[in-house]
Amino acid sequence: MSMTATRMLARDWRGGELGILVAALVLAVAVVTGISAFTTRLQSALEQESHRFLAADLVVRSGRDIPAQWAGRAESLSLSTARTLSFPSMVYAGDEAMVLASVKAVSGGYPLRGELTFSEQPFGPARPAAGGPAPGTVWLDSRLFALLDVAIGDRVGIGEATFEVVAAARTEPDQAAGFYSMGPRVLMHYDDIPATGVVQPGSRVEYRQLYAGEPAAREAFEAWLKPRLESGQRLLDVEQGQPGIGGALDRAERFLLLAGSLAVVLAGVAIALAARRFSERHTDYVAIMKSLGASSGAINRLYGKSLLILGLVATGLGCVAGWGIQSVFFSLFGDQLPVTPGPAGPRPYAVGFATAFTCLLCFAWPPLRRLGQASPLRVLRRDMPRESRRTLGDYLLGLVAVTALMWWYSGDWRLTGAVLLGLAITIVLGMGLALTLLRGGRLVGMSAGSIWRLALAGLQRRGAANALQVVIFAMAIMLLLVLVLVRTSLIREWQAQLPADTPNHFMLNIAPQEVQDVEQMLRANSVPSEAIYPMIRGRVMSVNGVDLPTREDAGEEGPRQRGANFTWSDTVPAGNKLVAGQWWSAGTGEALVSLEEEFAERLGATVGDRLGLLVGARPLEVTVASVRKLDWQSFQPNFFMVFPPRVLADFQATFMTSFHLDPTEKPFLNEFIRRFPTITVIEMDVVVEQVRAIVDQVSAAIELVLAVILAAGSLVLVAGVQASVDARMHESSILRALGARRNLILGGLAIEFAALGLFAGLLATVAAEFSVYVLQVWVMDMRYVPSPWLWPTGIVLGVVLIAGLGVYSCRKVVASPPLAVLREL
Amino acid sequence: MAGRELEILKGINLEIKSGESVAVVGASGSGKSTLLGLLAGLDEASGGRVIIGGTELGQLDEDGRAAFRAENVGFVFQSFQLLPALTALENVMLPLELKGQQDARAQAGYFLERVGLGSRLDHYPRQMSGGEQQRVAIARAFASRPEILFADEPTGNLDASTGAHVIDLLFELNREHGTTLVLVTHDLKLADRCERRLQLEGGALVAQ
Repeated sequence: MSMTATRMLARDWRGGELGILVAALVLAVAVVTGISAFTTRLQSALEQESHRFLAADLVVRSGRDIPAQWAGRAESLSLSTARTLSFPSMVYAGDEAMVLASVKAVSGGYPLRGELTFSEQPFGPARPAAGGPAPGTVWLDSRLFALLDVAIGDRVGIGEATFEVVAAARTEPDQAAGFYSMGPRVLMHYDDIPATGVVQPGSRVEYRQLYAGEPAAREAFEAWLKPRLESGQRLLDVEQGQPGIGGALDRAERFLLLAGSLAVVLAGVAIALAARRFSERHTDYVAIMKSLGASSGAINRLYGKSLLILGLVATGLGCVAGWGIQSVFFSLFGDQLPVTPGPAGPRPYAVGFATAFTCLLCFAWPPLRRLGQASPLRVLRRDMPRESRRTLGDYLLGLVAVTALMWWYSGDWRLTGAVLLGLAITIVLGMGLALTLLRGGRLVGMSAGSIWRLALAGLQRRGAANALQVVIFAMAIMLLLVLVLVRTSLIREWQAQLPADTPNHFMLNIAPQEVQDVEQMLRANSVPSEAIYPMIRGRVMSVNGVDLPTREDAGEEGPRQRGANFTWSDTVPAGNKLVAGQWWSAGTGEALVSLEEEFAERLGATVGDRLGLLVGARPLEVTVASVRKLDWQSFQPNFFMVFPPRVLADFQATFMTSFHLDPTEKPFLNEFIRRFPTITVIEMDVVVEQVRAIVDQVSAAIELVLAVILAAGSLVLVAGVQASVDARMHESSILRALGARRNLILGGLAIEFAALGLFAGLLATVAAEFSVYVLQVWVMDMRYVPSPWLWPTGIVLGVVLIAGLGVYSCRKVVASPPLAVLREL
Repeated sequence: MAGRELEILKGINLEIKSGESVAVVGASGSGKSTLLGLLAGLDEASGGRVIIGGTELGQLDEDGRAAFRAENVGFVFQSFQLLPALTALENVMLPLELKGQQDARAQAGYFLERVGLGSRLDHYPRQMSGGEQQRVAIARAFASRPEILFADEPTGNLDASTGAHVIDLLFELNREHGTTLVLVTHDLKLADRCERRLQLEGGALVAQ
């Protein structure tokens, strides 16, 4: 065989045969590469963004000084470093004014990530700062100016040293640091600490060493550091720095991976359809070559080489197009994303390449391989069937390929499983439909005179082919529905989690006699607040009579003595869900307790176990009555241990609550703190705003990815319709030659495609419901909410899309003379 | 096709009388099939007129021509052009149903009986030999009792003896129904069985 693969490809290209396959491949690679590049860039951007919350990439936190040589090691790996020290201290001005403040001393270089802001006057416009205060100076929280009665340029004292007030401290990237940040902020320079003399061994302080740099250096440092960490020293990464953000990011990442996996499935289907059409159209070609003496082996080699060349060309084009897609997206919507897209690296191209060749091998090759078996007799008998039916083996191969790609792409078998389940349901139901259509016999008589009968007869006549088409349409629609559904509930859940009046301030240490006054003051200023909870500090010492080891003996993880905040309640606290045991009846005097799920796990205790507690200096023994699950991302007061009110009645409690304050209402805090100086107010508003910003960005990203997937899904629908166009065109042109009118043919086609769309939409809806349920419950860790709008949407979408595409694709049959169509096919 | 326009048929002027049988002969590429397509209204001419029984096809739009075909024209193609998804009976019923004829089934059954396929009514084209398929096509062509029948190389895909049998059938039915027959072929023996012969060469009529 002297003919080369390239020459055949060139001829096919001229003949227009290759266009379909190449277009499908290029689009598949483009979609997969584009999404991969898009998500990679977005993920690295979001990661950078979340590093802001640590003010670094990595942080070591400790109650004792952190060895200086660690910073030296980090610097030798070209990481930049900084240190901070936080401690509560009295800050005074003149003889009278004195306020307990949360002091934070920062070294030069702080923050390594994110932005520190200040204003020249209290509550003035915030501006980004190049670094923290210079030695000898401090920045005060805006509220402190009023509390201390000082102005810019005055001096305030901390311990034995005095400092010049040069600015108002506004926001720090790592403000989230949690309950340590009690009281208004004072920022000072790290080098001034010794002069104050307030930090003594045993002081309640928090040292942090911050590191930032290239990922490789970061990993090397982390590996070096981990074995050197002692108890009490903790390495913080993004997740630990900000659990609320971590959860949101995690779900977003899963969603993007899901989207990418679906793109792979859609790509595979599009390629399989295109390859099948290509091979059907090539049957004559092969028959001729065989009649001229080509062996099956030679033909297989020829098509194998062609496929290889095609794959390489399409991968190249697809990678370029994929890069283009995401570039366009970023340039169009970049403004909506406050994060700068990071680098994509080589992975997207590797993904594109692997996808292209897996798809070619598992979807395109089987029908082409069978071309080699085409009978040369076809040269003589053009009426011999040219449709080489796909075998069960082909489908299995395709399934394995899809599974492997999805698993490789998402790295998550549950995600893969959920999507496969949906696809399996679609296929099984689709095959059921096929059997029904076929077994239904020829109930509908062939009557070409009526549009309806023509269409219904057409549906039935092509039962098997139609069922396959329904399955393909249904798969595409199902994947789109799944994506839209998950996206909708994801965004809805995020928004529900952070409603506009999310509590953004906590109030601790409210004395029992202050409760009424505090409530009154909040109400008088119309500040929306949560219920006021009692709070007692206690410690779990033993489980079922067995003493728990101390932290020194047991380390951070595993069962050990643990301190916790106790509260009491006759009812299950809002937002809590019982996962085991039962809630007590109101007013009970029984010594019971309800534990938070993870806390119970860490204690190694469950319902029915007896806990030995220490409250203040008094022992107390209680039985675990129930275990609760609660949402730590809700910004509501949450408690590990809840008791019946009577059990804690004898213990001295303080109270706490959380409330929402708009930025403009901030001065309310000044008034409040002046009136209740012993109450601690923790400001979380910056954190809440930051979480909201991230959620907004991630939502925008998800919308963008959804748009890309919708495009891919439409491609599959077009390819699916195209696949059946040849047969329908042939039939329609014969009908036309025999005298059928244009409206009859178009109407019949429209009804036939609409019916296919109806079945496909129905199937897709059922399968989508199943997949979404599994995805939300297993993979996304969300609550399943049924979507009643899904049913009409899925079905109408199916009918309109498929009928529209079908009629559009077949319009040529009525637009050109029948002879032209008959000759072409 | 890009480039120069190709003139396939040149200055053809011919008249076919009702009931007449005419063979169009000529070498491959001489324009036989193109002429047939134009005469039958399956294709549109870039110039000139085709008038059948007083109706000028060029004046009709595609739907008009379709209606005209349904009423007046029958076809037999070289490659049979049966609908693979329909049984023999349904294929023959098709033109009758397009005409809105009530007794389509009986008529179709009758014509299949006539071509000797009375026992194969429910068979699909793929279950039939080439000769049988062409006989179904002939039954279909006559079933709607057309005024004029166009046949494009009706034996082109058949062996000699099968072809001869098919042609016998074609002429037999033609005689019975007094149909006008226009037959394209390069088989001169077949052409001789027609009353008149049109010779095409390079798109021009050289003898009639």
